[in-house]
Amino acid sequence: MNFPYGQAPLAILILALIAGAVVGYDALLRQSGPQPDLVFATFVKEHADAYVPVIEQFEKDHDVRIQIQVVEQRALQSRLQAALQVGADVPDMVELMYDTLGVFTKGPIEEVRFVDLTKRVNDTGLIDNVVTSRFGKWTDRGHIFALPHDLHPVMLAYRRDLVEELGIDVDKLTTWDEFARVGREVATKDLNGDGVPDRYMINLPIQGGDALRLLLLQRGGQLFDEQGDIAFDDERTVEVFLWYLKQVQGQDRIAFDAGWGQNLARSMLDGLCLFYMCPDWRTRQFQMDVPQLEGKMALMPLPAWEEGGSRTSTWGGTGLAITEQCKDVELAWELAMHLYFNRKEQGRRFEQTQIISPLRSAWNEPSFDKPNPYFSDQRIGRMYADLAPQVPEEQSNAYMKMAVNRLSEAFANVSLYHREHGEVGLREYTEKEIKRVADRTREVMARNIFLQVDTGESDQEGGGS
Amino acid sequence: MSQVQTPQAVASGVLAAKPSAGARRYKFRKAITPYSFLLPYFLVTFVFFLYPLLYATILSFHMTSGPGVRRFVGLDNFAFVLADPDFHRALYNTAFFAVCSLLIQLPLSFGLAMLLNSGKSRLKGFFRLAIFAPNLVGQVFVAILFTMLFTPRYGLFNRIVHILTGFGLEQRWLTDPRWVMPAVVIAALWLYVGFNMIYFLAALQNVSRDLVEAAWIDGAGPWGVFWNVTRPAVTPVATFVVVVSSIGSFQLFELPYVLLQGYGPKNSGLTIVGYLYSNAFENGDLGTAAAVGWLLTLIILTISLIQIKLSGTMENDG
Amino acid sequence: MNALQIVLLIIATVFPIMWLVRRKWGWTYARWAGLILAAIIMTLPFVWLFCAAFKDKTVLNEYMFLPSIDRLSPETVNLDNFIELFSAKQTVSGKVSFWRYFANSLFLASTTTFISMVFCSMGGYALAKYRFRGRHAILGFMLASLTIPGVVLLAPNFEIIYQLGWMDKYRALIVPGAASAFGIFLFRQALLNVPADLIEAGRIDGCSEFRIYLQLAMPLVRPMTGAFCLITFLAQWNSFLAPNIFLQSQEKLTLPVVLNQYIGEYAQQYGVFLAGTLVAIIPPAILFLALQREFISGLTSGAVKQ
Repeated sequence: MNFPYGQAPLAILILALIAGAVVGYDALLRQSGPQPDLVFATFVKEHADAYVPVIEQFEKDHDVRIQIQVVEQRALQSRLQAALQVGADVPDMVELMYDTLGVFTKGPIEEVRFVDLTKRVNDTGLIDNVVTSRFGKWTDRGHIFALPHDLHPVMLAYRRDLVEELGIDVDKLTTWDEFARVGREVATKDLNGDGVPDRYMINLPIQGGDALRLLLLQRGGQLFDEQGDIAFDDERTVEVFLWYLKQVQGQDRIAFDAGWGQNLARSMLDGLCLFYMCPDWRTRQFQMDVPQLEGKMALMPLPAWEEGGSRTSTWGGTGLAITEQCKDVELAWELAMHLYFNRKEQGRRFEQTQIISPLRSAWNEPSFDKPNPYFSDQRIGRMYADLAPQVPEEQSNAYMKMAVNRLSEAFANVSLYHREHGEVGLREYTEKEIKRVADRTREVMARNIFLQVDTGESDQEGGGS
Repeated sequence: MSQVQTPQAVASGVLAAKPSAGARRYKFRKAITPYSFLLPYFLVTFVFFLYPLLYATILSFHMTSGPGVRRFVGLDNFAFVLADPDFHRALYNTAFFAVCSLLIQLPLSFGLAMLLNSGKSRLKGFFRLAIFAPNLVGQVFVAILFTMLFTPRYGLFNRIVHILTGFGLEQRWLTDPRWVMPAVVIAALWLYVGFNMIYFLAALQNVSRDLVEAAWIDGAGPWGVFWNVTRPAVTPVATFVVVVSSIGSFQLFELPYVLLQGYGPKNSGLTIVGYLYSNAFENGDLGTAAAVGWLLTLIILTISLIQIKLSGTMENDG
Repeated sequence: MNALQIVLLIIATVFPIMWLVRRKWGWTYARWAGLILAAIIMTLPFVWLFCAAFKDKTVLNEYMFLPSIDRLSPETVNLDNFIELFSAKQTVSGKVSFWRYFANSLFLASTTTFISMVFCSMGGYALAKYRFRGRHAILGFMLASLTIPGVVLLAPNFEIIYQLGWMDKYRALIVPGAASAFGIFLFRQALLNVPADLIEAGRIDGCSEFRIYLQLAMPLVRPMTGAFCLITFLAQWNSFLAPNIFLQSQEKLTLPVVLNQYIGEYAQQYGVFLAGTLVAIIPPAILFLALQREFISGLTSGAVKQ
């Protein structure tokens, strides 16, 4: 065919028409019903899947329509932020990822665009029935803005078969020092003699990250204190840094960084690492990703920092917030209660997700005592629930993300120093570096004139558009 | 936004349009016609460029939080950014990337174009496709692909480097601060080398075959032919590509952002636009982000102008 | 020494031998060796991608490419990733099949390309063929606007899109890209070559200005049109940030956004992602193969001028 403008525009035009027809036809078939009474956005597909039956029941009982949207985490975050910024339509309820509440609470407390749930939480007695420490992540300047979805205690998952073969008695691994000693003497070996170990004691990310943070929490450290000030520049952080560094790099290292996804699965299967940090949400992932290891895995509490110390920590978390534009706050609250704090429902959901609810009474449900064949018939629900009282509290803060980044910056610098200078002056350098990044964060926080509003010094004026 | 590195045109030697000798009776109609041809551009630009730009400018002098909450802070945002070590880091990383793409990527692109240009062969089309292919998948795919290729122990890249050199099997490209930017450069090299090659290929069409033949017969040798025949013909394009890829380099964001799932350890993969993005969408500080945007625009304008000035003198020489 | 090292060494040593025998042979050899090497390096990740898409997820990292013949079995190499990819998923807006996302991407990319081709060539024509007040200022402004990164304007643009009521609508992605400064500049460069006499002749024949542009000028810049279509289509096809923010309903999403969902926080299905990438390459690859000649000569006539 001889189109005067060449083939390209013709082809593009035809393509546009055909694709347009397909899209239009499909959209026509999809003509949706009436507007939903509530829109609920989450970033975890597994959560949405688990909520579907509950929500269907809730819709029938209340004669309402609820719509769940699954949105990729970063997109949800930036969309929500921009939408709240301009007052655009937002979902009525949203699930937030841990560390992200701060983004929404940078301004004056009355400008936070989520419904303040403090009174409801206290009035309904929720505060007494739920592990209180879990509200920390969702509280800013004393106001609760979201409900905790989970408890997320951490244990160690390990290749039971290999560990037993090596004659390691996990009951004796009660402290991290003992753990490291056994790891060094028994587990970490170069089996094929090429100079690189092919079996390590534990999987730890070399740049610290979440594992370093959860160890710091276990140690009793905090990134922020209850007043919202930086709290990580103390001796505990230095100790944790130095211990961690020794395990992940240098001649005596006992840790390998197995990464995520397929690499992690591979390393578990190969037995490259024996022990893995395992919060409740990871148990199901292991079962899905490495089904071959059924019966060969087991869980144990984390070794403590000192004899008799805390045997667990926490990693991650999701919270449910109700936006200020919510069409029906009462209904949203009711749905939230139903989804998060219904004892029977939590019992059922544990079977599906293996995530521990922060609702204490839920732990008495029979599903928590069910032996899990993947983890060598351990009753993993019970094991996690037993650790609940020891789960450390973490405070939310508008600058949480920044503090986390600064801390890993400090760790990166310290590990670089360790590689170049070894042990000489390492402790002093670590102290200095942690102090430096803490001060840096304080400096940035001091810039925020809105956070100082509470002290009543600064007059407040809504400006602009 | 996600874009194949498009030639963002700055070639300046071509600004003057030829006057069309219009007849007088068309005068009025002609007076209106060009504006009506440009109307769609005016509309789109006004709504989606000028207005947002104005908005961003106003924001850059304010501290913001949430709707309606903003406080005038004068030049405080600019002062903060200029003094922020993170911004310095971002500036350094971005400049490092720009220099690498200038000194490694462009010469490679040119070399490949030269290899591909000489001689006629049916296989040409195949090679062209092979080398251009990464542009078919785009930044986000390339980033995720390279996350897998750079995996210690299992990644293809690590394995091949190990086979070739005996080292590097457990090299942590994406988690060792010293190797993060080189990793980004390698991924970008793979992605962009083909696109710039196409420009050079187009430029080489300007090289007269007769002149090349004549130079060969005169015994000029490959170097002589290159210097006396090819170079002058390619210079304008080369400057164009240099300017375009510098602008592209300074706007680098998505590739490292997806590759590193953020900014890398110790901010070792933080670029200027990444710094802007993190301020705007992670810290929720639109004022500071807008200030960064203006500083970046200033940097890019300066560099482009310098390059155009330099290219102007080069063209006069040639 | 291993096989790969030896091969490379042999390839390297052949060159001086050839060169000593006859220089021209040496250069020809070097040219081919260089090209083949480059092509291998550039396509290797694609070969890997191709193999990985067909590997079972349990052996994704096991073999560099495909398993050896004796390990070849439905358990290591199969179509699971593609089956998972093409199976319609239950979402909040009903069942959505992969083909809908594919059609979305095609529709968005081709519509944007076509519309912006029309508007950009119109603008380019005005700047190339008319003398009018503000011409230089407009051109200068356009060039300067190219230096401002899109992310700077993302947040304000969000507000505008919302005010217009365009959230979750395709026009939020099509209209802002409908007339780009870059495209206008490219077309202007190409249209400068259209002879003034031709336009004059058209006017004497009584053609309207728009007809002159459409029927006389545009057919002369076919290569530029082809190049522009290719560049714009590629950019739109792979666009991620804007669709990720402006589109909300699952069934409206584009391929890059959907494929990115397979690499989520909690579940990472790399195999499915790779299979999807493989499918997503097909349309731009066909377009490139069909248009590569026009692409190169278009750039010669457009951006690249002496």
